[in-house]
Amino acid sequence: MSLVLSNLTKQFNDFTAVDNINIEVPRGSMYGFLGGNGAGKTTTFRMLLGLLAPTAGTITYDGAKIGYDMTDKIGYLPEERGLHPKLQVDEQIQYLARLKGMKRQEIDRQLDFWLEEFEVPENKQKRIEKLSKGNQQKIQLIASIIHEPELIILDEPFSGLDPVNVEILKKAVKELNRNGATILFSTHRMDHVEELCEELCILNKGRQVVSGNIDDIKADFGQKELIIEGQHDISFLKEFPGVLEMKQNRNTIVIKIAEEKYAEDIFHEIVKLGYFKRFQVNEPSLNDIFIAKVGRQYE
Amino acid sequence: MNKFLTTFRHTYLSKVKAKSFIITTIIVMLLIILAGNFNKIMNLFDGSEEIGTVEVEASDAFTAQFSEVLDRFSGEMSVVESDGDIVVTVEETVPVSAVVESEFNINAAQQAEIELALDEMNRMMVMETLDLSAEEASLMMAEVSVDYETSVSPAEGEAEAGAEPNYLNVVIFYITVFVMFFIVINYASQIGTEIAMEKSSRVIEMIVSSVSPVNHLFAKILAIICVSLTQLFFFVVTIIAVIYLVDIGELISEFGLEANDRTVPMIIYSLIFLLLGLVLYLSVSALLGSFVSRMEDLQQALLPVTMMSLGGMYLGMFNLFDPGNLLVRITSYFPFFTPFVMPLRVLDPDTSHVTVLIGIVVVLITIGIAVYFAARIYKGSILSTDQGIIKNIKKFNKGE
Repeated sequence: MSLVLSNLTKQFNDFTAVDNINIEVPRGSMYGFLGGNGAGKTTTFRMLLGLLAPTAGTITYDGAKIGYDMTDKIGYLPEERGLHPKLQVDEQIQYLARLKGMKRQEIDRQLDFWLEEFEVPENKQKRIEKLSKGNQQKIQLIASIIHEPELIILDEPFSGLDPVNVEILKKAVKELNRNGATILFSTHRMDHVEELCEELCILNKGRQVVSGNIDDIKADFGQKELIIEGQHDISFLKEFPGVLEMKQNRNTIVIKIAEEKYAEDIFHEIVKLGYFKRFQVNEPSLNDIFIAKVGRQYE
Repeated sequence: MNKFLTTFRHTYLSKVKAKSFIITTIIVMLLIILAGNFNKIMNLFDGSEEIGTVEVEASDAFTAQFSEVLDRFSGEMSVVESDGDIVVTVEETVPVSAVVESEFNINAAQQAEIELALDEMNRMMVMETLDLSAEEASLMMAEVSVDYETSVSPAEGEAEAGAEPNYLNVVIFYITVFVMFFIVINYASQIGTEIAMEKSSRVIEMIVSSVSPVNHLFAKILAIICVSLTQLFFFVVTIIAVIYLVDIGELISEFGLEANDRTVPMIIYSLIFLLLGLVLYLSVSALLGSFVSRMEDLQQALLPVTMMSLGGMYLGMFNLFDPGNLLVRITSYFPFFTPFVMPLRVLDPDTSHVTVLIGIVVVLITIGIAVYFAARIYKGSILSTDQGIIKNIKKFNKGE
């Protein structure tokens, strides 16, 4: 079974924040939510957790409605970061983990493990307000995963972190997923989704633009990227059938083609000119898909 | 239930272990101990000493008579022939003029007793000189008899005559109202801060993803009420300890405090209204605290609580000696004033138990309404970052 969102809609007065979303998140998968500000990611997550009531549609997990009886199985990292500033790290984690039904000793053991994992064991007794923003974020992530939840919802987990810390967190997220957790996360970064997720959903202004398995999406998208490197003039390809766009980089030429079959024609055409160092057909990037679907540059 | 207890425990312990709680509790406990030892402390600063013996430099007849008179006015001082603590030299007898010599300051009470005895001696000397008979003397001393005849109806006249309250009950009322005001002001801002801080620091979103907002809110309100009761408990224990350990019987009798048949109901009703007042004001503070998104707006949001409790306290204080007047009767049914004003009405013998029970019911209903709205509004407002209280009220009234 899995997490299923069907016909999910949320309206605030006249404004539709989420418009008829239909998604199925398979158990044990890593699912990415991609979208700009105001795309409806956070609103969707809040509806998932029951913090906002949907205007229409349903959300089920393992066939049942999500309620407070199953929150112990769910871990949530909100987009808006915040902890009790006056509490010590261990006090804060003790409180939040107890709300998830954990026992004191178990919390302490798990906290030590995660602090080591995130390379901040020295912060255990420090007050939250004394920590840097990045370290606070690590503590908050610990709070949302310490109870080993089945379903983990992470709203922009990597934003505001330096590259080193992003890697540490990514490693932890992958580990959690390997151990069986279903992970849903939203991000600004296409590369994170490409690296981590098998499934994704692109949202734009509350609407579901594209969703499903990334490989399928890329295959269905049709467009491919052709990279050609050589000494010959191939500018005539601009007018070639199936060519959508042609860009000259330093030593290479990048051509967008409507379908893979055009690559073959182009190949036969240019080999007539002589030797080429490189001729490569690439899958489209998520960025290409996003631009094509949403009609504008993402970031 | 488990999550309720977790939030309750967390809030209760963090508040009770806070330095501010410990310091204010200790300060008030010290003040209570100081107040209980008020007379002893005053004596410490009083450089005077107790006089046991008085030596009189006068004729034997005068001395003998003075000894008798002094015995009537003072139980502690007696006249001796030599080596007295003080020496009273009588320079003239009609009228009496005397010089009192001592090596230390005489305390005010004993000074007054000596003066009274000398006054009495003076009267006796003058009577003797004028050769007045006992009857003539008593006529001269008789009190003037005056009858006031006014056109007020007997019932009202009686009511006013009977309006003199029992001072012990007044003290109980005074303490109740003062303690309630102190706790309301202190803990209203604490519960408001607690809720607004969780909202402004955004930690609330993590919390309500684990526990339902209503559950969380009630656990918080109950925890803060228990913190305030814990503090109250320490104060009461200190008061009881002071009563038993320090001899304050003298202090109480000096103020003329004696229990009457309304003292026990007064204590019971005061405790009930104290509890109801705390629950009502703290629930409303929680409600108001959940409207603000920034800590800076909190004091403004809590202004109604401050104004209402201040108004209630002043209504009680200003009508302390006239608990039956119309203003008191009307305001005692206004739920936010009831906890302050209704105990005042208990002081008035004309107030029936039914009236007081109506007051209790009015407050209970208001608490019910406040808690209902607090839960409803809190649920919707915790994730809102809208600034402006009115905007928030409008929004959540619509049930968004």
